[in-house]
Amino acid sequence: MKTFIALVKREILNGKNAYVYTPLVLAGISLLLFILATIGFGNSIYLDELKNLNIQSNGSVVIVVESHENSSEVLKETTVKTRPATFVVASWMMSSLPWFSFPFVLFFSLLGALYEERRDRSVLFWKSMPVSDTQEVLAKFFTPVVVTPVVFLGVVIVLQLIMGVVLSGLALFQEGLIARDFWPISMMINSWIMALLFYLFWALWALPVLAWVLFVSSFATRLPFLWAVLPPIVIIAIEQMLFDSQNFRNWVGTHLGNWNADIATGYSINIEHPSEIFAVVGDILWYGATASLANGQFWLGLIIAGGLLFGAIRLRQRAL
Amino acid sequence: MTDTVMNAPVIKARGLAKSFGSFQALKQVSFDIPLGRIVGLIGANGAGKTTLLNAVLGLSSYQGELSVLGLNPAKQRGKLMHDVCFISDVATLPKWMKVLEVLDFVQSVHPKFDRTKALAFLSRTKIPQARKVKALSKGMVVQLHLAIVMAIDAKLLVLDEPTLGLDIMFRKQFYKNLLEEYFDEQRTVIITTHQVEEIEHILTDVIFIKDGELVLEAKTEALSEQFVELMVAPGKEVEAAALGPHSTGSSFGKTTCVYQNIDPKKLTGLGETRRVGLADIFVACMTGETQ
Repeated sequence: MKTFIALVKREILNGKNAYVYTPLVLAGISLLLFILATIGFGNSIYLDELKNLNIQSNGSVVIVVESHENSSEVLKETTVKTRPATFVVASWMMSSLPWFSFPFVLFFSLLGALYEERRDRSVLFWKSMPVSDTQEVLAKFFTPVVVTPVVFLGVVIVLQLIMGVVLSGLALFQEGLIARDFWPISMMINSWIMALLFYLFWALWALPVLAWVLFVSSFATRLPFLWAVLPPIVIIAIEQMLFDSQNFRNWVGTHLGNWNADIATGYSINIEHPSEIFAVVGDILWYGATASLANGQFWLGLIIAGGLLFGAIRLRQRAL
Repeated sequence: MTDTVMNAPVIKARGLAKSFGSFQALKQVSFDIPLGRIVGLIGANGAGKTTLLNAVLGLSSYQGELSVLGLNPAKQRGKLMHDVCFISDVATLPKWMKVLEVLDFVQSVHPKFDRTKALAFLSRTKIPQARKVKALSKGMVVQLHLAIVMAIDAKLLVLDEPTLGLDIMFRKQFYKNLLEEYFDEQRTVIITTHQVEEIEHILTDVIFIKDGELVLEAKTEALSEQFVELMVAPGKEVEAAALGPHSTGSSFGKTTCVYQNIDPKKLTGLGETRRVGLADIFVACMTGETQ
């Protein structure tokens, strides 16, 4: 265990530009824009009630934000009941920028994990340590897939808290605003846990695809990007040409997030107030989790992921 | 019980072989290396030195029987590395790490690493500890690696061309440190190098390897007794050749003959004799006309 922690620490140290600085920089940019919007332009801030939230049957949440010319008027009208939820939803939207980099961080970290160490020959140094290849490969999988999202979430949480502080400060100067409204703590914690749970199921579904990328990095001697991307594209093209079907493409799509839509079929909700969104997201999560566990594709994906990781371990045992 | 453990060879190979496609890099070699030796593994480029060492270190697959400290290196590399250290022929320290971070890492994964010792070695060098490895000179990287390796209480140390590309001052210091501060009868060191004459005095044993086969295994002392070089006196060439030299050459216009296991009396009167250096013995073995 101590060894595994040391390996994860090393991975974070190695990838700290991607794992730590990227979300920090993007959070900084978000904060800057946020502060410019709130303080720099005084009254023209947006804090607006989210009037229409449509959760469509394809599983994606469409949030329609209507803008108002005089937002402080709106704020006055906002009922005490909906304002905290509005704030939580809005703060997630305002802090979403770091997440855009996450898929890239994940993909390129996995792609370089076993490739770079062979390219710079440091693999020979790691191999002179009493650490098994199994532990090495698992640490190189665990770090981007599990540790990185936690780091990202941590950064986003701090960003949301800072935004709350700024808004509280602003509330002191604006009529009708109560600083306390910007601290719906239990709801915020709730949303963070939901984000983690949602990620957990997304990652479990995506595991075969993620393991494929790590597997590529264990054998590619050059151009790992092409190795990771071209074979799936070729398979999709061949299937299309020979059988005029898209089974493989759909399979990849399902594992990269469409599972959500597939198993949420028929789940349609109309949300009147933002405060309802958490109950609905919670429902979808619960529904998605139970449906996943009862889904053959879900388990098949995990088995494939296991096979690919095993392959990566075997290849690393002979890597020089 | 401890006696058998103590006397058991550190490395035991029987019919060890390795092929890359149709190329046989190692051809069924068998040997034992006991504890408490400094073994020079000497061979030309492509002779199979690195292939042999990679098998010993669990870095590659192989055919045949091989046991290192009683373990199967191909299957138990992780476990084996508790007692085995190696520095390979290329700089392998992670370039993105800072010197102290490398020490931190080794400390956290290697139970037999003594950080104080490593820092003591480092304090005698000019290595800036806050720098990244990639910012160090080639010599410093080797010194750092050696400092780490010498601070690990291992039974077997394998050095594959450790001083390649370093200047003579570094090389001398490197071997001096190794001999004076690391080596004892509880450890075995295997070294490969092209600069044979520089390590000759520290080797207890030598193994010559040629085209994937071991052509000579001997104790260094015995070897220098076995071989003798004769500077053939003018006019004695025919007599000298008749004694069956291992190899012949010429220097300063004189014929030289290297003999193996010859009665010194037979050479009396044929010319001056002298001790043969390891490098010359190696060359004689590799190019020997009688072979």
